[in-house]
Amino acid sequence: MSAEPLLRVENLRTVFRTSGGEVAAVDGVSLEVPRGRTLGIVGESGCGKSVLSLSIMRLLAHPGRIASGRVLLEGRDLAALSAAEMRAVRGRDIAMIFQEPMTSLNPVHRVGFQIAEAIRAHEPRASAAELRERGIAALKRVRIPSPERRFDEYPHQLSGGMRQRVMIAMALACSPKLLIADEPTTALDVTVQAQILDLLRELQAETGMSIILITHDLGVVAEMADEVAVMYAGRVVERAPAAALFEDPQHPYALGLLGSIPRLDEERERLLAIAGAVPPPFALPKGCRFHPRCPFAEEACRAEAPLLREVVPGHAVACRRAPVEQSLAA
Amino acid sequence: MSAPLLEVAGLAKHYPVKRGLILAKQIGTVRAVDGVSFTLQRGETLALVGESGCGKSTTARLVLRLIEPSAGEVRFEGRDITSLDRADLKAFRRRAQIVFQDPYASLNPRYTVGRTIAEPMEVHGVRDEASRRARVEELLRLVGLAPYHAERFPHEFSGGQRQRIGIARALAVEPDLVVCDEPVSALDVSIQAQVVNLLADLQKRLGLAYLFIAHDLAVVKHVADRIAVMYLGKIVEIAEKRALFANPCHPYTRALLAAIPHPDPRRRGQVTPLGGDVPSPLNPPPGCRFHTRCPFARDICREKEPALANGVACHLAEELPPAGLDFSGGLAPNAAKRLALYAKAAENA
Repeated sequence: MSAEPLLRVENLRTVFRTSGGEVAAVDGVSLEVPRGRTLGIVGESGCGKSVLSLSIMRLLAHPGRIASGRVLLEGRDLAALSAAEMRAVRGRDIAMIFQEPMTSLNPVHRVGFQIAEAIRAHEPRASAAELRERGIAALKRVRIPSPERRFDEYPHQLSGGMRQRVMIAMALACSPKLLIADEPTTALDVTVQAQILDLLRELQAETGMSIILITHDLGVVAEMADEVAVMYAGRVVERAPAAALFEDPQHPYALGLLGSIPRLDEERERLLAIAGAVPPPFALPKGCRFHPRCPFAEEACRAEAPLLREVVPGHAVACRRAPVEQSLAA
Repeated sequence: MSAPLLEVAGLAKHYPVKRGLILAKQIGTVRAVDGVSFTLQRGETLALVGESGCGKSTTARLVLRLIEPSAGEVRFEGRDITSLDRADLKAFRRRAQIVFQDPYASLNPRYTVGRTIAEPMEVHGVRDEASRRARVEELLRLVGLAPYHAERFPHEFSGGQRQRIGIARALAVEPDLVVCDEPVSALDVSIQAQVVNLLADLQKRLGLAYLFIAHDLAVVKHVADRIAVMYLGKIVEIAEKRALFANPCHPYTRALLAAIPHPDPRRRGQVTPLGGDVPSPLNPPPGCRFHTRCPFARDICREKEPALANGVACHLAEELPPAGLDFSGGLAPNAAKRLALYAKAAENA
């Protein structure tokens, strides 16, 4: 990337202290999010994608902490900020939406109050009338019909899709530069998911914000992301422009994921399932963390962790056997 | 065609909605399932698909009579199970089992896996203790686990393994029909593929019939022989899988298919969202229930409820333009080539 990216994560390591010692849920992750673009982060449960986003937001709960690495937002290291400085960043520079809109909204407050709260946190001198006006504008922006009425309703009066719109309205109330969306459509029905994805894309075009989209759904990634990072067991195993990941997948894990999903545009007798399961962070295998499940694993894979290397400019993979057709022929 | 294993006709489940504590007054009816009919052959998979609240899970429970229907019939080998007495119902349940969505909530955490799997055999008085134990081992192997797992507790297993345990339990009494209620929706994609493959293998081996409840149309396309699409308590379209994807007739089926993002960036932007929300089943709209969101709706749709004819419940089925959905494409050549190598290497491993 030639221009300075909005966000650059460098060698981030997030650890949790447990009775059995420290475990690293995110272990040496480096990423870039260019301005106005969408980075998709793909992986299965336990790959560290949510811990990564909480690390960027500095929302890790005890006993989690950032052990090393930097999180540079426009050159400023968020990992080194004080709690008070970080509070000024959250909501104003970076905002986040979560999977379950019902549990992320406070059920005893009207949605308007909750949106206004987000604005007031950064602009304490805003008047009540101004907050109301801006809150209604925020609801309008996420295409909620009759926003004046919805402003005074409670979360339970809204449908799932509507609640996620409210979450997005709240997140965008202070026009952040970066929106982190952690599985934003996983709890939604497919027709509602399509509405929300459409909305996110429109809002990005309007505001020029960057998006980190965390998902397990390769369909959502293909639809939304410009760049993709595939994570496995706390590490990025492949990083590529979205088109390249699907047209030229390199890492065996990325291949396995592609083979695991049933497709509407192809009929297959059997799905290609990845054998075994994701290892827990306290029992990570030595060497390449995917090797116990990898059909191409060889001695060297068991001994030493592969480094992320560029195979094509902009396309990096952490596998010594990629591309597999070449290493198999050798 | 031989007589179907399962025949469902006019099945309905209505829940009264009451207001007031002591002198409760009924103020409405939720029509969770409202006149559903279908058949299922031996060894066949029928998928019920739809979005939340369409009544697919309620239908699954009605078929096993886990809840009592408000109306309609469920015939299993020609016999209506809605009027069976306790003993006959128990005999029916030996033939029809269920696999649940949530592998965390559907296993008793205090039971060993062996006890969980043996329990249906005890309930139905199948085999003696020693041969039950042998059967548990056999079942564990059948679902890809090991005999020593029988001594362990559910918390020692991953989600995918738990789902295998749930499947082993369902198969313990050798049923003919297994109702699979979103069996893979809670699983990660790579694990989902393992369980989908397992279900397919078991069907082939044991001749099982599946009533497969799901919301993921790609999974359904992979597993089902026939598909019934539900909306607000009704089947709006039912067809052979290939016919449904080649020519989806009902506007809701089309909307559902058009909303799915393809794992292919070349097709970006083809997703067409359906406007609006599902109406409340408490006051379903008159006429066709989909008319409030249907781009083709006319006066007749608002007034008269369409009947299911030739597999479609739509007044305009004959005159709608072609769906124009493209399901060709598939994996990119490089991806396909490497996946083939992966599959070959996995086989040798």
